[in-house]
Amino acid sequence: MTKSKILEKDRLKDFIDELSKENEVLAPIKTNNYFQFKELSQGEEISLDYQNTKQPPKEVFLPQTEVLFTYRTDEEEIKIKASPSQKEKRVILGIRPCDARALVLLDRFFSSGDYKDNLYLEKRENTAIIGLACNSPLSTCFCLPLGGSPFGGEGLDLLLKDINDKYLIETITNQGEKLIKKVKWLKDATKEDEEKAKTKKEDAENALKNALTVKGLKNKLDSMFEAPLWDQIHRKCVGCGVCSFLCPTCTCFDVLDEMTPSGGRRVRIWDTCQFPLFTKEASGFNPRPSSKERMRQRIMHKFNYFPKDFEVFSCVGCGRCIQACPVNLDIREVITTIMAN
Amino acid sequence: MAQIQDSIREIAEKLLKEKKVDIILGYEKGTLPLRTTPCFVKNPDDVAKLVWNDCCDIPLSKYLIDMTQKAGVIAKGCDARSIVVCINEKQIDRDNVVIIGVPCQGIIDRKKIEAELNGKEILEAEVTDDRVLIKGKNFERTLQKKSYLSDSCVTCKHRNPPVSDIMVGEKVPEQDQKEEFAEIMKIEAKSPDERWAFFSKELEKCIRCYACRNVCPLCYCSECFVDKTMPLWFGKTNDVSDTMIYHIVRALHVAGRCVDCGACSRVCPMDINLRALTKKIEKIVKDRFNHEAGLSLEETPPLGTFKLEDTQEFIIE
Amino acid sequence: MKTTGTTQKTSEEKIWEPKIIAFLCNWCSYAGADLAGISRIQYPPNIRVVRVPCSGRINPYFIIKSLQRGWDGVLVSGCHPGDCHYVSGNLVARRKFAILKDLMEYVGIEEGRLNFSWISAAEGERFSKVVKTVVEKVKTLGPAKRIVKR
Repeated sequence: MTKSKILEKDRLKDFIDELSKENEVLAPIKTNNYFQFKELSQGEEISLDYQNTKQPPKEVFLPQTEVLFTYRTDEEEIKIKASPSQKEKRVILGIRPCDARALVLLDRFFSSGDYKDNLYLEKRENTAIIGLACNSPLSTCFCLPLGGSPFGGEGLDLLLKDINDKYLIETITNQGEKLIKKVKWLKDATKEDEEKAKTKKEDAENALKNALTVKGLKNKLDSMFEAPLWDQIHRKCVGCGVCSFLCPTCTCFDVLDEMTPSGGRRVRIWDTCQFPLFTKEASGFNPRPSSKERMRQRIMHKFNYFPKDFEVFSCVGCGRCIQACPVNLDIREVITTIMAN
Repeated sequence: MAQIQDSIREIAEKLLKEKKVDIILGYEKGTLPLRTTPCFVKNPDDVAKLVWNDCCDIPLSKYLIDMTQKAGVIAKGCDARSIVVCINEKQIDRDNVVIIGVPCQGIIDRKKIEAELNGKEILEAEVTDDRVLIKGKNFERTLQKKSYLSDSCVTCKHRNPPVSDIMVGEKVPEQDQKEEFAEIMKIEAKSPDERWAFFSKELEKCIRCYACRNVCPLCYCSECFVDKTMPLWFGKTNDVSDTMIYHIVRALHVAGRCVDCGACSRVCPMDINLRALTKKIEKIVKDRFNHEAGLSLEETPPLGTFKLEDTQEFIIE
Repeated sequence: MKTTGTTQKTSEEKIWEPKIIAFLCNWCSYAGADLAGISRIQYPPNIRVVRVPCSGRINPYFIIKSLQRGWDGVLVSGCHPGDCHYVSGNLVARRKFAILKDLMEYVGIEEGRLNFSWISAAEGERFSKVVKTVVEKVKTLGPAKRIVKR
């Protein structure tokens, strides 16, 4: 891999301009009071001085509403048209390591077994990910105990490390290497730069060391399906979808058919196991009738079922669910209660 | 504030010990600064968990629907009104609930403070009578509490619960609200094109998480209209048309019932100004039918009744 | 036979004609419309009638869904207050319609897309006048664009 490079912060715009020559660049843009990944328009200035986006980058690859195919019934034959493929080359700049790691988990979900979800995978193949390491994790972050790191490279092609007035760019994948080679004016990083980055990494990881204890959680949950503690944990949940929709690893979707004036279309929309309708059967029977079963499902899926299939927790510790839950139902508190059970 | 907190704990303990209620619905300290979380206390020894402060924001009446146990519930003015509406609509049994009314002087809107801090994380917060002291990483700020109250509290006319079984503490003076609908009138003054642009822009942020609906004390339907499939009325996609209709119809459904607790706007993860719709509905019902929801156990819901002389200037002559 | 309200130019240049859905209560407004027909009173052919037993049957969903489907205008008509065949259906409906109209116009749906009237079974002439008024109003507004889902 190429040696690490240095990007002076006041040349960030030039860096983006270079990337824009062959790619559509998405970066965190502040709209309202929060940041979202949006396509940069020509010459748009951005600052990478931000915590994290409101919605995780999953919404770039798995949008809330996605048309699967359309069909026309107003001509002689019924014509079905699949959604156009996403061949545009894109770069997402400024993704946090937790969210990048989540994309790797999503990849496993959408390409496991015989069925490959092309709508998702195509977008992933054509998008390069440039990450931004976290110097100051939030109080709601807990990536480290779950196997991630504020300076982790999983899922990233390049990783930007903020060392005060400049970024140290670590090359992680071949795709990242190709990108960085195109920006010829980047200087090589000095040993001093590398040391600074190392210190920042150590400080960040130290801050997260004790964020949460999950040792043995997966195995513990094996025997806890009928545990009485689920009766208490779910009580205050109001059953909305905020936690799932803002979660970088949640993937569930519903498929609906809609009529249009000329025929119809099939769309997929985000769905969540927290909605009662998620498991309601045609007979009217619902195997998860109350928020108790649904909350148990969420926790078991993230910390027991998914790890059994894919070896890792289906939670990257980004903390969005904690910040956004209307009733402050804190997943860290749930885990701690389970561990103490 | 501390006095009210102590009184709440005393009252809760008494009610539980005397078996007047099986469970107390209140608030306990949250896991983040400026947050509380709903708390269900069954054991009189646990009442020390209960807190009272200006971050007790979620209406607890939601949890009373379908509750079979007898419950004591901490209720601010707006919360008590929502309980009254639910009782009038026969969703809560009057004899099954003990309303512990708490006069309220306003709830802090966390989002306003977060906006003021421009993205810096709040690590600690202390709230006094008139100030909010914020501590973060390498900074400290003192804010005037008055400027960071929830919009619904700024225009609140019913800070004292109109119906309660026990009133905690002294009543607070009610605010004079001649400007109650000022924000709505500003929007009304725009042209239809401007209003359409305004609402399209606000509502295109929606991710259809339904936090607004699920936290609303009056949205208790076991099957919401968006989930109905036979017939399927409106789509669930985040297409602007579908989203606008969801919010318009939800506003229609709370007509004459909304107590402007402000929870919907406060919990929206995408910061949509939902009160721009719900407050307008309140204004329509007030102007046309002179009705305010939840003030009396004897009131009739405005959409369940009529007068021969109801306004009908919109009827084509 | 020449029909009023439509001017057909060459086949390449058809003038847009609004499509208006009319929910008419069976006992008064529908009968009034029927009377207009029997009396050979001319009115614009832009409306499509949906017969309902009472204006109180009308769920605001019908109106909103019509707008979403692309209907350029909606007309809802029932018995005069006090004359409802079911005693008070129209009185209950009146409150619903008032709130719906106020809210839809507040959100930016053009004034004139939602129309409400009371037309009795004897008012054939009036029915045609109301339809003319509504069609003219909607013609000036143009095709429905807002809240339409294509």
